[in-house]
Amino acid sequence: MAELESAVMITPEGDEPTPATSATAPDPVEADGVAEATVEAVEASDEGEPDLRALFEEQALPFMDQLYAAAMRMTRNPADASDLVQETFVKAFAAFRQFQQGTNLKAWLYRIQTNTFINTYRKKQRDPYQGTIDELEDWQMGGAESATRTSGSTRSAEAEAIDHLPDSAVKDALQKVPEDFRMAVYFADVEGFSYQEIADIMKTPVGTVMSRLHRGRRLLRGLLADYARDRGIAVPAGTTSKGSTK
Amino acid sequence: MTDCGCDKAKAELEEFLHDELCREDAADIREHMATCADCSGEHKVGIVLTEAVQRACKETAPEDLRSTVLARIRDLQASH
Repeated sequence: MAELESAVMITPEGDEPTPATSATAPDPVEADGVAEATVEAVEASDEGEPDLRALFEEQALPFMDQLYAAAMRMTRNPADASDLVQETFVKAFAAFRQFQQGTNLKAWLYRIQTNTFINTYRKKQRDPYQGTIDELEDWQMGGAESATRTSGSTRSAEAEAIDHLPDSAVKDALQKVPEDFRMAVYFADVEGFSYQEIADIMKTPVGTVMSRLHRGRRLLRGLLADYARDRGIAVPAGTTSKGSTK
Repeated sequence: MTDCGCDKAKAELEEFLHDELCREDAADIREHMATCADCSGEHKVGIVLTEAVQRACKETAPEDLRSTVLARIRDLQASH
């Protein structure tokens, strides 16, 4: 698996081969009509399949805390996060018969949630840069991304500072990272998804996942250094996003 | 084995951190970091950053969300 992903990674961006084996079942929410049709199917076969619901509750519901945490990072507020998770579970249940047992249920649920978010919530809170953010050059994003060049002796101070920041500071910083970058970081660093799984969830080539992850982490690092410095925690000047030149 | 050098290590540190390198490449990076304080320090920052994100992103879904979802799923299944 590692070898395979490594091979995929060096493929030029935008030209990724479709992997032979996808980690997830066919997408149930590609078109709303599909999901609606499945709702009917589940309802129609109600008497014949009493166990489908039990199976869903047993397998899918344990992911609720995780999906909610991701929804919080997507929507940035508890009310929308709750609505999003609710919609995700309803759609997932409606499509649950299409889910291939034995494949990655968590990734499947995240795909549904990501789709649902894009189709409903993102329209409400559309970031003006959304959609073109991947094409922005580093200098257009501010200094944070290009400002993480530090010398060896100061890195331990930086690690120490990041390690002692309160969770609220890290959350605030994450919310300032553009959504696609933020979610790539979330999927990789919190959920531990592979680059290929993230590519499936975000429907983007692996090369784009790598770039989002890289830039998201660099932005975050710069923002955290800013935060630490503003509070008088010694962090090497070159690390912060303020006042740096490319 | 010869040391892969800082350039290769720095370029691949993030993929190393995310366990996306093949065994040989990962071994090269590991070997280089054993003798390079600069790269191992950079790696350490990466680990700390990941851990900080993990800590900050822990959430528990509200209890009423759980009951709402259960109710909606049961509604869905019941014929109407």
